Amino acid sequence: MKKLLVLLSLLALVTGSVFAQGAAEVTADSYPSGPVSAIVPYSAGGGTDLVMRALADAAKASFPKNIAVENRTGGGGAVGMSYGANAKADGSVVTMITVELVTLPHTGTGAGLSYDQFTPIMMVNSAYSAITVKADSPYNTLNDFINAAKTSTMKVGNSGVGAIWHLAAAGLAKTAGVTFNHIPFDGAAPAITSLLGGHIDAVTVSYAEVASQVNAGNLKVLAVLAPERISATPNIPTAKELGYDVAIGTWRGLGVPKATPQPIVDKLYSIFSTAAKSDSFVNFMNSSNNIIDVMDGPSYQKKLAVDNEMFKALINELGLKQQ
Amino acid sequence: MLLEVLNNVFTIQIFLFIIMGVFTGICIGSLPGLTATMGVALVLPLTFGMEATPGILLLIGVYVGAIYGGSISAILLRTPGTPAAAATALDGYEFSKRGESGRALGISTISSFIGGVVSVMALWLISPQLAKLALRFNAPEFFLLAVFGLSIIASISGNSLAKGVLCGGLGIALSFMGIDSITGYPRFTFGNINLLSGMSFIPVMIGLFAMSQAFSTVENIFTADEVSQKVTKVWPTRSDWKVILKTAPVSGLIGTFIGIVPGAGAEIGAFVSYSQAKRFSKHPELFGTGIPEGIAAPEGGNNGVTGGALIPMLTMGVPGDAVAAILIGALTVQGLQPGPLLFTEHTTLVYSIFLGMFIANVTMLILGLSSLKFFVKILSIPKSILTPMIFVLCVVGSYAINTNFFDVGIMLFFGIIGYFMQKADVSVSPAVLGLILGPMAESNFRRALLMSEGSYSIFFASPIAWVFLILTIFTLGMPYVTSFLKARHKNIA
Repeated sequence: MKKLLVLLSLLALVTGSVFAQGAAEVTADSYPSGPVSAIVPYSAGGGTDLVMRALADAAKASFPKNIAVENRTGGGGAVGMSYGANAKADGSVVTMITVELVTLPHTGTGAGLSYDQFTPIMMVNSAYSAITVKADSPYNTLNDFINAAKTSTMKVGNSGVGAIWHLAAAGLAKTAGVTFNHIPFDGAAPAITSLLGGHIDAVTVSYAEVASQVNAGNLKVLAVLAPERISATPNIPTAKELGYDVAIGTWRGLGVPKATPQPIVDKLYSIFSTAAKSDSFVNFMNSSNNIIDVMDGPSYQKKLAVDNEMFKALINELGLKQQ
Repeated sequence: MLLEVLNNVFTIQIFLFIIMGVFTGICIGSLPGLTATMGVALVLPLTFGMEATPGILLLIGVYVGAIYGGSISAILLRTPGTPAAAATALDGYEFSKRGESGRALGISTISSFIGGVVSVMALWLISPQLAKLALRFNAPEFFLLAVFGLSIIASISGNSLAKGVLCGGLGIALSFMGIDSITGYPRFTFGNINLLSGMSFIPVMIGLFAMSQAFSTVENIFTADEVSQKVTKVWPTRSDWKVILKTAPVSGLIGTFIGIVPGAGAEIGAFVSYSQAKRFSKHPELFGTGIPEGIAAPEGGNNGVTGGALIPMLTMGVPGDAVAAILIGALTVQGLQPGPLLFTEHTTLVYSIFLGMFIANVTMLILGLSSLKFFVKILSIPKSILTPMIFVLCVVGSYAINTNFFDVGIMLFFGIIGYFMQKADVSVSPAVLGLILGPMAESNFRRALLMSEGSYSIFFASPIAWVFLILTIFTLGMPYVTSFLKARHKNIA
């Protein structure tokens, strides 16, 4: 009987921890009086997950009943973000929203997702595309690369069809008036591995993702598709400086369902903007090559609208829209 | 240097973290639905505040423990705790049916240890040489590796090859669901958002293996078990030792190789090892009936992957599997850049990882052997109590993987399908293998053609491609050749 008890209690423990999701009534002034879940629409251990966990860790003192990070994956982020958009509008569910919020609806795989389902709290970080080639490649500038693409087909790897780094490569090709042979991989890491092996000519993923290989002297970055030079790498020019007016990147931020009362939104902004300045979070972001780029709710709202239009036009032009 | 490494690793703190990691790993691994990847990801935030060496070794402990832990529930309950143990369930559960679960767990523990140690040795001695191999893999090589993996269906189909091929085809067909990885077009999603990222593989596996088994147990739930579990023998007999020592080191090497190849993880390592052991066995027909080789091979193979996966990670900053990808994140957070510079700039750390991983394997062996008697008791619980518990574990496990109730529905659906497959005497493993390898084969086939702009010659362009082509032809053709030769031999005689 004893072993049975042990087993039963083990089972209860497992079941309990998985299903544990407090649903407390919250009012604006007492917020956050109940437990809060932070939804990450991507899998545990990935870049988005790590940033959310570090931010939640830095903010945990402000949540007396705890803040729990929850991964709801699937549909390239659509599943988790839809869940967050349709959650109770009482601040009990905060969602990490990413650039896919304004790209998936246009590729036709957003399953009804739209950026105006969220009230953005703040933007947390951003990353821009870095046009990266092998260190021993004959191309030393972006112009070399574009000129070569005019006469031969360049194999450019990205992190998935319709994903942000595919759009970045396509945006550059469009601006420069060339065509690339876009090779999609399942995420940025396999694309970088393939570039290291010399099987493709370039990748267009973020600088953070290639930084370690660049430092090791295996890869070199020709340009970043950013509005201005990245402070960590002031020597790398932007595409805009070189005459290609294109800036495409990803961002991560926090959002709550549209109907959430304004006092709760304000409270969340004050909690997370403080957390984003904390030493532990700043250290984490620096050591993991992430660039902190905090933007308040109203400006973030505007950015969402602008990006939404830009990606809508780009995706339609590329014919990536699915029926 | 050696002294520094020893100083670095032989501290109470590091030993405690390794033991804690391995213990946590075994618990996580033995629960269906909680995979090694998930376990490592869950423990990861704890390491942010730690020093590099204890932090990484804690994670590696979880990894090693979880890959081993999956075999416990695979043997006892026919419920692979992790996908890596899916191949172990084939022979492992047959032992339990005979009441020899203690023997099976003993073989699995020792084989896992041997596989792990072999891979650590490979990691320590020849990692820079092996690492270069990983970069040679391009889309065509990945495709041919997947095809070679699929040829294994021939050896895990049970008694009917036709049924196995049909079932493998079903698995591959299921893997077509979701967003097409090359064009981005949603296929067979029936407008359902939950199917956009494809058929979630873990719920299907839990359904086919565990739920179906629980369903058929319900049929005779109130009849008392005739099989009593012989708990006493955990330490293998001399004849078992012979088998283990013959099988596990080879499997460990195969696993190490599979681990080095980016994108091929422990589940593939286990299946490939199983099939190789069967192919070179003197009695291949006994596989699947509960023989020691059927446990020693996959368990040596999946733990072999653990060291292999770290080889490209430590030497080049390229993850060998999903867990290694998380470990890269962990190292980066510590301000260390995995890659060619790690070996020269942080030699002590790298060799501390090697030594720590060896200790993790020893810990796994000790923890495993000392707690096996406790695990075996699970089977002495009456079926009328154990079966509902398995139902609960299946539901919780399939929910936990994506915290999505849709997956519970998938698990139930495949539980019912698996139940009828069992009735029809169809082995479910080919379906699982098809589901694992289908996406790898398909996307790399199409990626290769994208790269070559439509020319099929890319599949014959490299020596690695030829190796896999020949291996596949050999695998598929060999049984026919041997039976032909035997028949001729008989005729002449």
